This record gives sequence, structure tokens and C-alpha cells, in this order.
Amino acid sequence: MKFSISRDQFLSQLGIAVRGVSTRSAIQTLAGVMIRVEGGSVELQATDMELGIRVRVDTAPERDGAVVLPGRLLLDVVRSLPQDDLSLEHRTSEQDVEVVSGPAKFHLRTLPLDDFPKLPEAGEAAAMHVPAGAFVETIGRVARSASRDETRPHLTGVLVSASGQELRMVATDSYRLSVKETTLEKPVDGSLEANVPARTLQELSRVASAGGGDEIEIAALENQVIFNLGDVVISSRLVEGRFPNYRQLLPESYEHELNVNGPELLDVVRRISLLAQKNAPLRMSFSEGAVEVSAQTPDVGEASESLPVPFKGEPLEIGFNPEFFRDGLESAESAEVVLKLISPLRPGLIESGGEDGGFIYLVMPIRLNV
Amino acid sequence: MRLVVARCEVRYSGRLSAVLPEALRLLMFKSDGSVMVHSDAGGYKPENWMTPPTVIEESEGEIVVRKLGGEDRLDIRLAEIVSDVTHDMGEAAALQKDGVERELQELLADAPEWCGEGFRLVRREWPTDIGPVDLMCRDAQEDWIAVEIKRLGTISAVEQLTRYLERIRLDPSMGSCRGVLAAQSIKPQARVLAEARGIDCVEVDLAVLRGEREPDLTLFA
Repeated sequence: MKFSISRDQFLSQLGIAVRGVSTRSAIQTLAGVMIRVEGGSVELQATDMELGIRVRVDTAPERDGAVVLPGRLLLDVVRSLPQDDLSLEHRTSEQDVEVVSGPAKFHLRTLPLDDFPKLPEAGEAAAMHVPAGAFVETIGRVARSASRDETRPHLTGVLVSASGQELRMVATDSYRLSVKETTLEKPVDGSLEANVPARTLQELSRVASAGGGDEIEIAALENQVIFNLGDVVISSRLVEGRFPNYRQLLPESYEHELNVNGPELLDVVRRISLLAQKNAPLRMSFSEGAVEVSAQTPDVGEASESLPVPFKGEPLEIGFNPEFFRDGLESAESAEVVLKLISPLRPGLIESGGEDGGFIYLVMPIRLNV
Repeated sequence: MRLVVARCEVRYSGRLSAVLPEALRLLMFKSDGSVMVHSDAGGYKPENWMTPPTVIEESEGEIVVRKLGGEDRLDIRLAEIVSDVTHDMGEAAALQKDGVERELQELLADAPEWCGEGFRLVRREWPTDIGPVDLMCRDAQEDWIAVEIKRLGTISAVEQLTRYLERIRLDPSMGSCRGVLAAQSIKPQARVLAEARGIDCVEVDLAVLRGEREPDLTLFA
């Protein structure tokens, strides 16, 4: 294996691949990036057995071959090189790769190539094409509601559904639920429903946002999903276990439906949340025509601020996890949001209004010790 | 309980073959059919053992222990018997558990609904021939549920509950008995194994069970 390339170009491609490297696997090779040169093209691969990333590198190689090098170390080395010219050559007899840039020379020992797993390929599987912008935007609206609790693996994914002109993503950690429905400009070919790890989608967003092309090709296999963004292919196992029937969780009716200025409420919530530390709730006291948002942390202090809302009826006091409530308002990304409430111990709903519709965020309150 | 101190050679055959050369050893024969071969070193674990049900055949200078319905076999050749005594141990007392696990068992026995919707307690320390399962419950459909309680739910806890369920289901009237592993926290690997074996996992919060804190409100369990 031998090829030369611009350091900056290689660094950007390697930076994508390294995100797939395992940081805590017992298999040494999984800490590596495989560089495969074959048939005149160079490809980088990395996987932690759950997420796999393949990156095509645009250069003219001099010699075919494949090696696995420690991913993080290679990234640090390439990042530190003094000049933009860079060549990599596998020295078979020394079992290392020589990295040369100007006067700097490194010899990096290779990791066992045979242990590196074969990443899944779409093969003959039917693929659908979705606009990258809409897909990434939808991920951004729901992904933070996915659970990070590995003891409940079925909640660590985002339920991705697409058919016709509708793209829908749903995520929940049992404390909140995000649903975003996006209408696509063109209908997709085929249909998809898959519980995709939130981490995979976040990596996908990162790559796509950095200029991965206008379209994403998605192929769902039996227990894998493959996203093709052109030069980058991300494969991922699907989350096992049944995703909750989220429709059942949505209350049929609400006592109060309040149209509020989203950014204004978000600003207030952000400010007041500064004093909601150590699991203290964000307290919202609704009374005729206004809501007072307040928080208090013992030994730290308290804060409160009122703003007008079209509330009518008996006063209502409800507490929310400040981070969860703020996430909902941020994800609504709407100038106008509809806040729907039932009672202090029933879930509240944040819905994006106006042209930014299609997003709902259901969040459980927390008990207030009056 | 029969305790034999003897100079003996022990040969195991079954899934593999192993030989303990002639030496002075303690042989324990429990009334439940368990047989253990101990030496004076090697920690608490026997050097070899056979779990019940077993068939024990004794002849001059030899004891043969066979696993009922299996290939496993211990051939104990007795060269010299130093001591051979049998004690009546009486009714086995239930295991006294210390600390958190014991308290969890007491609290969940009082509120078995935390282990599953509609659960009601039938008996604590439900006996099986390999040891007692922590709680035996029935649900609204009158189905049986064996609940094993741990501070930390690990793979070995799932294995333990699996063994209990095997024994419990031998009784035709409890053939559909389900298992629930209840613990303050459950390791992801244990959860995967439990799911593969049809065992439910429930994480319980000691502070909530004690009534020190209200449970968090969630959209679903």
C-alpha cells in the first residue's frame, strides 16, 4: 500500500473515519482505521461493531494493499505534520507504515488486519433516497429525546419512518417524547421503519452538515441500516427491542392551550434555569393572563420572571425538569409555540405553531414540594 | 449430612475427564443429593462436585456418584477412611440476607406491584430443591411469577433465576411460571441474557420503596 495526498484533505477524511473507532473494545484492531487501497482508490474504514464508517479518499495510489493503524494516533500524527505533502507506505517486512511529510518521518506499527471486521454493504437491498437537508433537520429536532441509558437499549434509538412524502422521527427516554413529521418535496421510493441508534444519526448529521451531498441513500437490511452520503458510508446495527407505541402516550385532550412567543419563553426559561440547580424544578405558575417562571436552589438562590400568556381559569402550578423543558422549546424552533397543559401531574405538550408545524414534544412534569 | 474424611482418588467423567490424585480429602454428601469434594486448600470451592439429583452407590472401598439422567459420574476410590460421620441437620433455616438485598426483599414483599403490574405475594423464600427463590407471586391472571432480588443484577443472577425456574416448572401446575429479576440496577449484559430467556427485568429504587422519595413521573414504565 502506498499513496501520496494532501495533508489537509487526508486529515478531513480521516477525521470522519476516526469517529467510528472503538474507544473501549477488547479487540485491539477496533481501535484502528483500516486503509484499503484497491483498484486505484483509497478507502478508510473504522467500526466499533455497532457503527461503521467508510470514507472514500480521492487520490491516485501507487500500490494496492490494506493495513490497520491506530486511529487516534494516526489522526494526531497527520494533524501535527509540518507540510501539506504527505505520503503513506506500508513496509511489509517491518510491519509498519511510513508516514512522511517534508522532513518529518513516522513509522507506525500496524494492527492485525485479519481481526478487522467486514463492514456491511447494501448489495442488492432496495435503497431509498431522501434529501439530506430535511433528514438532518429532522434528526436535530428529536435526537436529544433519545435515552442515553444503556440499560434501556430500545429507547436509545430514534424511530425513523419514511413513506410517500412523509418523513417522521420519534424519540423518547420515558420522561419526554419528541415527534417530528417532515413533508418532503418529492415522495420517496419505497418505505422505511427502523429504530436507528441516536448516536448513528448524530454522526450522520455531522457528516452531512459538513458537506456530504444533497441526498442520502438509505438501505435497510435485516438488522442493519446503511446510509450512503457519497464519499462517506455509515452503517449501523438497528436497535433491538420494541419501540413504545408513542401514539398511546399522547393525551386526547388538554385543559389549557396557550399560544406563546417561543423565543421569548425560551429566553425566560434559560435565564431562570440558572438558579434551578441540583435537580431543582423549573416552577411555572399560571394565573389569569400571565405565567411566572421561577426556580430556587437551596444555598444558591432563587429567580423569577413573569410574562404574559393567554391563560384563563383556575391558577395552575406545574414543575418541569429545566433541561427537558428548555430542550422542548429549543427543538420547537418556532416563533410561535402552543403550550398544552392538563394538570400538575399530567404531561405537558409543546407544539410548534405556524409554518414551523409538524413538531410535538411531550414532557412529564416533576412533583413540586409546595 | 454425611461427612467423610478419607484418603481417596476421585475421577470425574462426563463432559470431560478429570482426576484428583490420591490425597486426604473431605467428602460431603448432603441430603438433597449434592456431593462435594474438598481439600484443605483452594478456597471455598470444592475441587469437584455433583449437583442433585444424583444416585450414590457405595461398595467396599468405592463410592460412585452418578448424575440422574446424565453422563456425569464421580468415581471415588477410598484408600483409607479417617472419619465417617452423619449429622441430622434438621429443617433448613432460610438464608438470612444482610443489608440492602435483605431490605429490598422485605420492601418488595410488602409492595410486590413494583415487580410487575398486579403482582401479589404468595410466599417469601419459596423453596426449591436447589434453594429458595426470593418471592413467589401471582398476577391478575393467576399466573405464577418467581422474583429474584439482587442489589446488582448480573449475568449470574439471571443464571440463578434460570436454575430456579427450571426446578419450579417441573411441577406441572407451575409449568408456565415466569421469572422477574428485580435489582437496584441491572447490568446491560444481564438484561440481554434475561430478555433472551424470557425473564423480565425490573429496576427498583430503594429510596422510593422506603417512602423517602416519590417516584419520578414518566410517560410509560
